[in-house]
This record gives sequence, C-alpha cells and structure tokens, in this order.
Amino acid sequence: MEKVLFAHVDNPQQHRIETYLAAGGYQALPKILREYKPDDVIDLIKKSGLRGRGGAGFPAGMKWSFVPKTSPKPKYLCCNADESEPGTCKDRVLMESDPHLVVEGIIIAAYAIQAHQAFIYIRGEFVFPAARMEQAVEEAYARGYLGKNILGSGYDLDLVVHTGGGAYICGEETALLSSLEGDRGLSRIRPPFPAIEGLYGCPTVVNNVETLANVPLIVNRGVDWFRSHGTEKSPGTKIFSLSGNIKRPGNYEVDLGTPLSYIINELGGGVPDGRTLKAIIPGGSSTPLLLPHQIDTPLDFESVAQAGSMLGSGAIIVIDDGACMVWTAMKLINFYQHESCGKCTPCREGTAWLKQLINRIEDGNGRPGDIDLILDICGNIMGRTICPLGDAAVMPTESIIKLFRNEFEYHIEHKTCLVKTSYPLA
Amino acid sequence: MAENGGNTVTLTIDGRQVTVPKGTTVLEAAQSIGIDIPTFCWHPKLDSIGACRMCLVDIEKMPKPAVSCATEVAQGMVVSTTSDRIVAARKGVLEFLLLNHPLDCPTCDKGGECDLQDITFKYGTDKSRFAFPKLRIIDEHTKTTFDDKRIGPEIIRNMNRCVTCFKCVRFNKEIAGEYDLGAYQRANHTVIDAAPGEQVDNIYSGNVVEICPVGALTNTDWRYKVRVWLTKQADSISPHDADGQNIKLWYDHRRIFRATSRRNDAVDEGWICDLARYGYQFIDSPDRLMSPLIKRQGRQVAATWAEALELVARRFRDIRDKKGSVCIAGLSGGNQSAETMALFNRFFRTVLRSNSVDYRLDYIDLKDGEITEAYNCLYTAPFQIAELEQADAALVFASNFIKEHPIVNLRLRKAVRKSKARLFTANPVETKSADISVDELIYRPDTETAFVVALLHALIDQRLYKNCPDGRAMELQSRLSPSSLTEAAGICGIEVERISSLARQLASAQNPFILAGDYLTASTQRYQIGNALYNLANLLGVPDGKAIILASHADSIGAERVGLRPALSADLAGRLAEAWKEPIPDSTGLNTSQIFRAILDEEIDAVMILGANPAMRYPDGPFVNAALDKLDFLVVADLFETATTAKADVVFPLAGWAEQDGSFVNLEGRQQRFQRALPPKAEIKTGLEIIREIAETMGEPLAGDDAALRNETERLVSSWVRRPRVMDKFYDVKPAPPVGHEGYPYRLLVGNDLHHVGYLTEHCPSLIRFTREPYVELSPSLAARLGVDEAALVRVESTTGRLVLPVRISEQFDGDVVFIPNNFAAVEVNTLVSRDGGGWVKIERLDE
Repeated sequence: MEKVLFAHVDNPQQHRIETYLAAGGYQALPKILREYKPDDVIDLIKKSGLRGRGGAGFPAGMKWSFVPKTSPKPKYLCCNADESEPGTCKDRVLMESDPHLVVEGIIIAAYAIQAHQAFIYIRGEFVFPAARMEQAVEEAYARGYLGKNILGSGYDLDLVVHTGGGAYICGEETALLSSLEGDRGLSRIRPPFPAIEGLYGCPTVVNNVETLANVPLIVNRGVDWFRSHGTEKSPGTKIFSLSGNIKRPGNYEVDLGTPLSYIINELGGGVPDGRTLKAIIPGGSSTPLLLPHQIDTPLDFESVAQAGSMLGSGAIIVIDDGACMVWTAMKLINFYQHESCGKCTPCREGTAWLKQLINRIEDGNGRPGDIDLILDICGNIMGRTICPLGDAAVMPTESIIKLFRNEFEYHIEHKTCLVKTSYPLA
Repeated sequence: MAENGGNTVTLTIDGRQVTVPKGTTVLEAAQSIGIDIPTFCWHPKLDSIGACRMCLVDIEKMPKPAVSCATEVAQGMVVSTTSDRIVAARKGVLEFLLLNHPLDCPTCDKGGECDLQDITFKYGTDKSRFAFPKLRIIDEHTKTTFDDKRIGPEIIRNMNRCVTCFKCVRFNKEIAGEYDLGAYQRANHTVIDAAPGEQVDNIYSGNVVEICPVGALTNTDWRYKVRVWLTKQADSISPHDADGQNIKLWYDHRRIFRATSRRNDAVDEGWICDLARYGYQFIDSPDRLMSPLIKRQGRQVAATWAEALELVARRFRDIRDKKGSVCIAGLSGGNQSAETMALFNRFFRTVLRSNSVDYRLDYIDLKDGEITEAYNCLYTAPFQIAELEQADAALVFASNFIKEHPIVNLRLRKAVRKSKARLFTANPVETKSADISVDELIYRPDTETAFVVALLHALIDQRLYKNCPDGRAMELQSRLSPSSLTEAAGICGIEVERISSLARQLASAQNPFILAGDYLTASTQRYQIGNALYNLANLLGVPDGKAIILASHADSIGAERVGLRPALSADLAGRLAEAWKEPIPDSTGLNTSQIFRAILDEEIDAVMILGANPAMRYPDGPFVNAALDKLDFLVVADLFETATTAKADVVFPLAGWAEQDGSFVNLEGRQQRFQRALPPKAEIKTGLEIIREIAETMGEPLAGDDAALRNETERLVSSWVRRPRVMDKFYDVKPAPPVGHEGYPYRLLVGNDLHHVGYLTEHCPSLIRFTREPYVELSPSLAARLGVDEAALVRVESTTGRLVLPVRISEQFDGDVVFIPNNFAAVEVNTLVSRDGGGWVKIERLDE
C-alpha cells in the first residue's frame, strides 16, 4: 500500500527544509498562490472529500466554507496539535519527522480562509515535536513561505507555535481556543461555532495536524489521485496508531477502508503468542469496543460506526485475554476524571463518582447494584455535557460493562479478577 | 416554516405560545410566561456559559437536550421543560451537585435563600445513592472540614458548598473588570480563590457574595448573625455617592443586618459597590451621639432636648433680631434627604430670614467675578446613566470615576464591552481603566483648563467642529488661553498628537459623551474649566444631556432643586415663595467659602450645620478652623462627635438616612425614595424633627406636616427648570496663572479612599477592614527617589501644616503626585491645604 503522509518519515533529515524541498516540498504552496483564488482552494478540498482526522471526521472543505467571507473581523487558523487521546501518537510523528508538510498545509488552509495569523497549538508534553515545529516555522520564514508578501503573492501570514499546559481538554477545539487566549482551558457552548466566533470572538478554523498534512498532497497530486485511496465517503489514507497487546505496535498508514484484521494481524503481527484476542478499541480510548468477530470491519468512518463504534483519531488499542476488563475500565475512567475540566456539572461530578465506583469494584469492595448504578450515572452524563469529554468517558465505560458484565459481577462477588492476568500491569 | 417578518419570534413552550423579541433565550422566554426553569450558573446580566446543566430543555428536532440559558428562540420552536428526559436530567444534575455538598444548611448563612436548597426541594429527591466519604477540600491551615478561608477583607470562601457555577469569577471579569478572583485546579478539585498573592478587595467585591447561589461565598457582615427569614426589608438608596444605587436593607426590630442590591436597570442593573453594601453599618455604631450636648464653661455636657432647643431658639432669635438676619448662616451636608434640605432651606429663609445657605462644603469657592453659568449648566445636565450604553465614544475627564461614580463606571465598562464604545480618560492619575480605554491621558496636576483648551485648539486646527461657522471658530480660538495647541499641550504634559487624535475620534463619533468629575469640582479653577468644557461640548455638537459635570453627593442635585444655595433663579425663587407663602428675603446670600470669610470678618455670628464636618473636610483647614473657632454661636447636628461638633455650642444627635423616610436626587436628577428601616435610638431625632422643633421653640412653627413637605419637595424636584445649554454659545477661557510652590515639589491630591466616602464610613467596620489606616499614596518612582518602601513612615509638610503617615506605593501614580484620603478623623489632612498655594507639599523620610 502506498505511503503518502509517511512517505518520508523514515528519512532522518526530512525535518530540514532543504530535504523537504528536495523531496518536492513547497510546490503546492506556490501553485496555490499563483493559480487559485481562496474559494478555489476550498472547492478543491471539498471535492477531494478530505475529512477531519482529529476524531469527528467532519469534511474539512465544508468547515472552511463556514468562515464568513464578508466579516470585517480578522480570521484565524489553528492547527490542533494537542494530541492527547490515549492510544493516539500519529501527529507527533508527522511533526517530528515531516514538519514542513504540516506547515505547508497550514499556509494553504490559512490562505483558503484568508487568515493572516495562524497558530499551532501543541500539547505541553510534546517538547521535541514543538522544537521541530519551531525550527520548521523559522526556516519557512527565512525562505519567504511565511511573513509578509509570501512568494511575492501579496498574501501575508504569521504562524506562531504555542505549547499548552498538558491538558487533554485542550484538544477540544473550544477549550483549545480558550487556552490560546490565555484563559483557563475550558470548553465553550456551541453555537456560536468557532467558524463564526472563535479565537478572540473572530472566525476561526481548527484543523488536526494530519488533516492539514493531507492538503499539500491533494494540491500536488489532485483530487482523483486522493480519491483513488480509501472509500467513496472516506477517501484518502489514514495513519493508525496501533498499541496494546500486539506484537508490533506502531504507526501504520493505510488506505481508509482497510480491514481492521489487516492492521492487527498483517502489520501488527497479531496478539502475543499463546494469547487470544479479546476486544479492540478502534478509534482512541473514547470509542466503544469491538469484539473479535468484528475484526474484519473496514476502517472507514461509516463502517466503524455501523459496527457500533467510531473511527475517531485512528488509535487502535488491542486487548487480549490476559486483560481484566474491570481494570481496563478503571484505567480509562481514572484518565477521564483526571482530565475533566470541571466546567459542567455532569462531567465534573459524574466522572468522579464513576471513578470511585469502578475503583471500588476493582479493589474488591464492589457492592451489588454498583453496575446498574454505573450505567445509570453514564446515562446522566451522556449527551448532557458542554463538550464531548463527558461522552468520551461514558462510551468506553458503558461499552465495556455491556460486553463484559460478567467480569464486573465476578469482581463484586469474589472480590478478585475473573481473568488471571499473566503480565505486569501498570 | 414561515419566518416572522418583524423583530419578534413566536414559539411554543410546554404547549403555550409565547412571542418574544428576537435574540431572547429560551430560558427568558419561558420566564416571561411564568414557566420556571431552574438554574445555577445563569444570571440575567452575565454571558451564559451553560455550565450547570440545570436549565436543560427538550427542543423538537434537536437530538440532545439543550441549555435554555444559551439557546436563542427561533420561529416555530417547540420546547418542553417537563418531558421525562428533562425531569430525569434535572434529577441527575441535582444528584451530582449534592454528591459532595456538606448539607450544612443549619449552620450555613445562605439557608433560606439558597438556590440549591430551593431547587432541591422542588426538583430533587430525598435519597442519595452516593456511598463514599464526601470529598472535602480542607484548608491546610484550619485543618477542619469547615473550609472557611478569608479571600478578601470581607469575603469568606467555603469550597465544600460551591457548585462551581463560576458566577463570581465571571462577574469579576465581565462586569467589574477585576482579576483578583479566579478559578484554579480542574475537574472536581476546581477551587475558587483569590489570585495568588492578592485579596478580593476591589470596590465591587461584595457582589460575588450576593450572586453566589449557595453559601460558598459569604461575608463577615452577614455571617452567623441572623436567619434570613427572621428579617424584614426596607427599600433604600445608598447615601454615599451621587449615582443613586438602589439597595435593600435587611433588618429586625433592633438593627440592620445587611444591605443588598435592588436591581434598577435604569441606574445600577443590580450591581452595587461595597460602599453601598457595607456603608449602612454606621447606623448601628456604638459611637453614635445619643443625646444633645451643650457647651458649659468650655466643656460639652449632656443636656435635655428642652434645654438645647431653648438655648438655640433664644440665641437665633437674639442674633436675628439684634444683629440682623444676615448674621446667621446654614450649611447642610450633601447627603441629607431632599425633604430635610427643603425644610432647612425654608427655615433659614422664612424664619431666620437669611439667604446664606449652602450644601457645597468640600470645595473652595472664590468665584469673585467668575462666570458660573457654564459650570452650573453642565453640572445639572439632563444626563441618563443608561444612555451611556449607546455611546460610541466617551471622554471621562478630571474624574477618578471608579471611586467617585462606581455605577457610571460599570455602565462605561458595559458600553465598551457590549457596544464597543471607545473610551478615553484624562486625569492627573491613572484610574484603573487601562483595560477599557483606547487612550489613558495623564495631564499634569492643575492643568485641567489647559487640557480642554488644547482639545479645543485641536478641533479648530483640524476643522472638526460642528454647529459653528469658521469665522466664529477662529474668533473663539483667538480668545483662548493658552493660545495654541502646542503651548496648551506642553502645559499639561501630553503629546500634541495624542490630543489631536482624541479630537479626531471624538469628532467622528456619532454619539459621544463627555463626563467630568471631582478633580474639576475640587479645582479652584472650576469655572474656567467649566467654560472650556462648555465650549468643547458645543464644538463637538454633543447634545445637552451628554456632557455633564457629575455631582458628588447622594443629594447634591436635590439640594440644587430645592434651592439650598445662596443665589436662586428667578423661577425657583418665585416657586419657593409661592409654596411658603412668604417672600424670599432680598439680602445677598453667601456661599460656604464666603460664609467662613464673613465669620472671620465678624459679619456672621451664628451658623447651623446639619450632617456635615467641614472642620475636617473643607479643603483649607487653617481657614475653616479659624472661622469656626471665632463663631459666636455654632449649632451642629450630626451622628457622631466630629472635629466640627467639638467646636459647637450645641450639638444635636441626628438620625441617619436609614432611620427616616425620605428621598435622594441622584446625578441624573432622578428622585428616589428610601424607607425607614429602624426608628432612631435613644434621644436621636431626624433632621426634620430638629428643624421643626427649633422653629416651634422660637414660636414661629413651620406650617404643614411631613406629607405636605414630601409633596412640596416632589413638586420642586420634578418641576425644576433648567436653562438648557445654548449650542452656539461660547465662553472666554482665561486660566489663572499657576501658583508658586517653591520648596514644595509634590502636588497633594486629597479625596476619598476607595472604600471610604465622607467621614461616616469610618464607623463601618467592614469598610475599615479594606482600608485599615490612613496613608499617603506615592508613585513607585517617587518612593524610589525618597528611598522609602511600602509602610515606611514619612513626614508630609506644606506651608500650613505637617503630618506623619505610612507610605503606600501605587502603580496608578506617576511622578510627583501624591494622595492622602480625607476620611480619617485622626488625620487632619486639610491642615496641609489652603486657598493660596496650598496643596503642594514636601516629603521626608522619617528614620527610625
């Protein structure tokens, strides 16, 4: 399968602008500035069918087209590099190994929405990727790809690399904007959507790193080429981050629509010898689980949704029969409770209560009725919160309990695991 | 769905149709037809954040419940507030909020008026499914679960009760523009706390206690004193500033427990400053004067009312009949009720037959040969606070408006935040408005005239004037002094370009406002500045009600309208004579400054002072004290013993505003009634009673009862006639030459402290907690030059006196301007200032 986003990530010098240029980089940008009006870029991306790679899969071109053209306010583009979803580690590689691909994508997207100021909001823990991005931005300025009058086109753009404080919530676009404004990273109610009132109350587009990295490729190689990868409704390739009980974990780029089994068994080499596949989290820790019989599900937005889960950010976490599902649920809820921003009641209080209940079961102190109570609390969180973090905490929890209720019941009754975990747990 | 053509939208809520203006939220639409939707984080005057999730409703075609507080109505929308899903959602949210709530209602001061209590009774369940120890945020110092942490001079925070609605933080940031309170940590460990190293001590700090839906924020004022349901409420008006903040006094038969806001969208929008909130406390002070005093052999001793009244009546009659009525004068504080001032005026003019009455006791009024029309016209302009919201530009000039007019300040903030008004300030010091001002101009002290003249030059130079032919403008310019923009700008120390730019921006505004305040009023140049400002308003074409010199006291405008000033317009004199059925005496009345001069010249023998303390507050200490000491007979009615009562031959214990019915007329000319909360204690009497009883004892009782007086006052206030500003009239401006101050390099500004207004607030313990003690405020640069740190003692010396005070260093001061508050009885600041050249000081460090 053709690697496009990852075509050059193995080259240790790819992060330098000279290498990027030698490999055909910064050819899309001059073409755009020369031949495309901003609206033409939006049309191109709309036609390509490129969908957001951050998790929701919203069509990128359509998102750009929501920015009001007649607004007298400045417009902003924010590249969301706050990659914090457990299991997801793809943007990091792009930023470390091919940062100019991201920068070029940002410039083209900013031009399309006529922003003159763009930001890369990078997760606080990403010290090295941030340094690489800083360097790339500096190099791009030096070569005239950023700054005033880019390549003599009359178009100006400034790009600022901003590192966050290490909060998962800041990957949510409205919280990202609050944080970028210097406020607490709390999500905001929508509407107004960022495209209308985003950063500093001005029209703003927030796109994931991988989404933007696709843009120069589409410009260079065309819509037809892009659509030759993936499926009709989910065109293009996608980087999947494979982790968990797997022989060869790592980032793998495949066409959208590739069966899950291909990634797990062919690329990942399957679960360790002597173990059996038990469950799969297909799209990052906030998505419901799939079971072994669903292993042939094609990895595109529609098929995974049909299977009852979500493609999400493309982080596949493989769970084998050595894992206790109560422990798994506990690890997940502890994460979400810790990362709840505390703004809205159901998420702030609900995740804390869920954490107490699930930890109690895990510790062997579970009580009859706890399972139904957990499900009831999940119901009081789901769909009642400002941002998707509440739902993200509930979906895997509910899913694990529904699929592996017997393990929870066993825990409550026998005060120990049904599964005899045979490897050390962190 | 047919789009409604007009500006309204019709929707259905719980089966009932309602038509509301576009942009209304679903919540407010429901409220408008009496449908109750519970909320915690919603507030009508704050931006909705949809955080508590209590106000969820179901809206047809929406997959998920929506927050009604932040969802705008749409034509044909169908809303349910009672669907099964919503009932369950509310129960769920309440259960979450109560998980870790301490349920300490019996010891919580919010009990009885707590949103969490009320909503739980209405929508919650009586069982908890939560079987864990409650999360306790335990203060590391107190080590108790009563997590009571003092986060400001008055405010105590109990995080365990908090429902994390962020109202307090949002109020601080959105409305007050203060950043001393914030939210820290995250998830269910979120805490509300003072900003690191700071205290919540801004002038609006009490509002966060009032808007807290639970008992998480309480104040010392109210804690552990009474249960709310045992109190009664009286509608009142704050007596401490001219804005006319509407308040409610909570009291029982013995005392007042607190003051809260009483939302009036025309005035305060439900926000009040700490002075209005805690400024009632002097009423219950143990230091109140309780009985009359008479000076016998040089000492004041307690006396009966009969003795005191007899003495006053006899002396007044003697002086009037033997020496002449012009030998008696009357002075009233600017925060007596309009009715009291009206009766005081009538008593002086009809019984004592003297026109020497005044309420303006805190500035030097020389006015010899001065034209006062322009000043008086601007001072009484028909300004409306609420109209500021429509301003697209405003110049606030010569006013530390946050201190002087806290409510005007909030409206200006709102205009900037909501309507994008462009605000400019021009003052001798910074005013804490940098965050909302386009430009914050600082002029050299005493150069107000030059500043306005500079603006006039800038307008004329750039031909930006309106309503004025070119020739006229040129002619006006030729008569201005200083004679050019460069010269005038140089005098006030501001770059020419900044003044030109200000002129351009004011001239290009559609709806500009010009507000001036106490630095102007307190200036001995006030009439010249008034002339210049009048010209400015006219050149800019600013309508009459949009250029104003803001009044200083709760009832300054009331005093103007009931005629408590020496000179009266022919119209007012006629109406007063008609109301009193007696002619106004034809002698020339004297103003405050002239009265003191006349005492020294032995032309006035007796003075009656009602609720005022000129010995401490009149800005020429040596002069006023010499005058009061020289007086033959001084009668003072006041709430406390003061520097002025100490000089009196007779002292009457005077009731405070909360001990009587009455009204104040605020700076807009809005007459607002206040109700009596408590009867006066012991032998205290109201101003009305005191005046009536003196008249009766003199054998010349004042006809008519209190109801008749109230009607008469209301008539006077409402039918008061003012000569409008003449839009094409211009005045000459001739600033006086600067006063020499060799050897005294620093300009001393004297005025009110942020949490202190007048002299009564020293008897309010809550307000004292903010200010603590007298001080002299210096700029960082001056402190560095003097080699002094915060709290170091310095000697401040002028030609007339000296004081020793601790230093406070303020970033708002620049260069050689210093400030001393004149609110502390122990520090007679006015000894440092005098009419000729006073106000300049030298400062020396005191070495231990």
